[in-house]
Amino acid sequence: MGLFSSLIQRKFKDIAGKRYERVLKEYRDFLLTEEEMVLPEIKSVLIPLDRFIGEIPVDVYDTLSAYRDAKFVLLYIIDIHVSYMIEQTLGVKASEEFKKKEKEEGMKLLGKISRNFEALGINPQLRLFFGDKSRDIISLAQKHDLLVLSKAYGSEITKTHPLSPVVLKIVQHVNIPVIVY
Amino acid sequence: MTPETVAVAVFLFTYALVVSEKIHRAVAAMFGASVILFLKIVPWENIPKYLDLNTLFLLMGMMIIVNTARNSGLFEYVAIKTAKLARGSPIRVLLLFSIVTAVISSVLDNVTTVLLLTPMLLYISRLMELSPIPFLLSEIFASNIGGTATLIGDPPNIMIGSAAKLSFNEFLINMGPIAAIDLGVTILIIYLAYNNALKVTPKKKVMIIQTLRGLDEKAAIRDIRLFRKSVAIILFVVALFFLHDRLGIEPAVVALFGASLILLWTREDPEGIFEKIEWPALFFFGGLFIIVGALEETGTIAKVAEWVLTHVHTQGEALLVITWFSAFSSAIVDNIPLTAAMIPLIKHMGASMNVYPLWWALSLGACLGGNGTAIGASANVVVIGIAEREDVRITFVDFLKVGMIIMIITVAIGVGILWIRYVGW
Repeated sequence: MGLFSSLIQRKFKDIAGKRYERVLKEYRDFLLTEEEMVLPEIKSVLIPLDRFIGEIPVDVYDTLSAYRDAKFVLLYIIDIHVSYMIEQTLGVKASEEFKKKEKEEGMKLLGKISRNFEALGINPQLRLFFGDKSRDIISLAQKHDLLVLSKAYGSEITKTHPLSPVVLKIVQHVNIPVIVY
Repeated sequence: MTPETVAVAVFLFTYALVVSEKIHRAVAAMFGASVILFLKIVPWENIPKYLDLNTLFLLMGMMIIVNTARNSGLFEYVAIKTAKLARGSPIRVLLLFSIVTAVISSVLDNVTTVLLLTPMLLYISRLMELSPIPFLLSEIFASNIGGTATLIGDPPNIMIGSAAKLSFNEFLINMGPIAAIDLGVTILIIYLAYNNALKVTPKKKVMIIQTLRGLDEKAAIRDIRLFRKSVAIILFVVALFFLHDRLGIEPAVVALFGASLILLWTREDPEGIFEKIEWPALFFFGGLFIIVGALEETGTIAKVAEWVLTHVHTQGEALLVITWFSAFSSAIVDNIPLTAAMIPLIKHMGASMNVYPLWWALSLGACLGGNGTAIGASANVVVIGIAEREDVRITFVDFLKVGMIIMIITVAIGVGILWIRYVGW
């Protein structure tokens, strides 16, 4: 520390005492930290959908329209474990029937949501596959900058359980920003 | 040793201790005053004559008001509101923060003002990804200029007002326009000097606005009832300052009345508030009054005044000498002991000339002189100290290059206005 620095710090201590520390503490309560201040650049958005999601709220479309230059991926995952359980209990035919219906429903929902995005000038990529919802999304999220999830993704929600356990698991494991609607 | 020699020796020794910073200035002043009283250079019964209670109680009252109001989050609220009003434009940040700093400093003490506004300025600078130096320098200059505008803005003004019986309105009429012009010129100089460092891209500006929108100034208010009461009391006290001479009450009475009212109305813990009074500053003032009193008591001041009058023949000459002497001295040493010593000198000069303009000359030099160097005023030290803690280096030379120019220009403008008003073309 130079002569000037030590003089300033000594005089500062004489004049301000510990008042500055108190002021800083008070400011910290409501100002963003340096890490929080850096706004992430969004180039790719992942939007998982499933049978528990009927629609995406208008507010979410508004927010996402700010990233219209980004790549949007609408993803419908059919739970492979459910398909396996049906096969084990009701047989292969019932399982195939389930897969067919789920695919149809998935394509219908993807088409509906996709049209809404197209109306905003966004052309999303559509993907549908059988898999493990939480594991596959946690893995895929690494290749995206923003994850947009419904509170009801993966299971129905109730007043007493307002957040799906699948969503809870996903948000605990991904390291990108998440919008939960 | 004659009492006169002792008085001069104690004054110089205390001054040397204050300048050297080896021991706390309050301790130095207390020690000097104790020696004066121990040697009976100022008799005990004459203490009330030299101890300026108007200054001491005015400072104390304002400290109580500020410390009570601070608990409400009022100043953080103002800082966030100002940041939002700037809407991500560096030039607006420079302009608005300078004006807000000057206005707050004109009614509250400069150190509290910059202590509370500097963290917000550093935050916005980081957000804009710009060097905070132009904003911090502008804040320092604005604080010292704002303090010049009123009777209660800066301790030298309080001392001058008390000694010369000048009212709040007289200060505002004489020093207010000078401060307003000086502030405008200072912002312009900073803008011209740092023009290239005050630019952000439109994309960045949008991001800054988005982030600032996320800040809720209401979240800064810790106690809404205290907040409202504090604003009401501060406005009431300022209004009383405007009327104090018509009502025939001293400014110190206004401050003490406001202080007792805010404590009574808000029911804030008085012990906590009294603990926050800057007792070292008050003891420093008290000690200095006694030490300078000794110079008066022994006739030293009268002799110096006589000597000055043999060399300075007209009011115009005195105006120039006092302004520039106090400005350059305040840039190097503490302006409070300087003002304390100059006041009796000007009083003695009153025997042979009209000293009314000289009070404004002293106020101008003592307050604006602080802008000259990094150690010229408390606000400078506090802002540079905070900046250092946040890894922003402002060296003595960096400051001097801008500060000295600002000081010379602002003092020149002020002395020009005083000259036109009191000496004539």
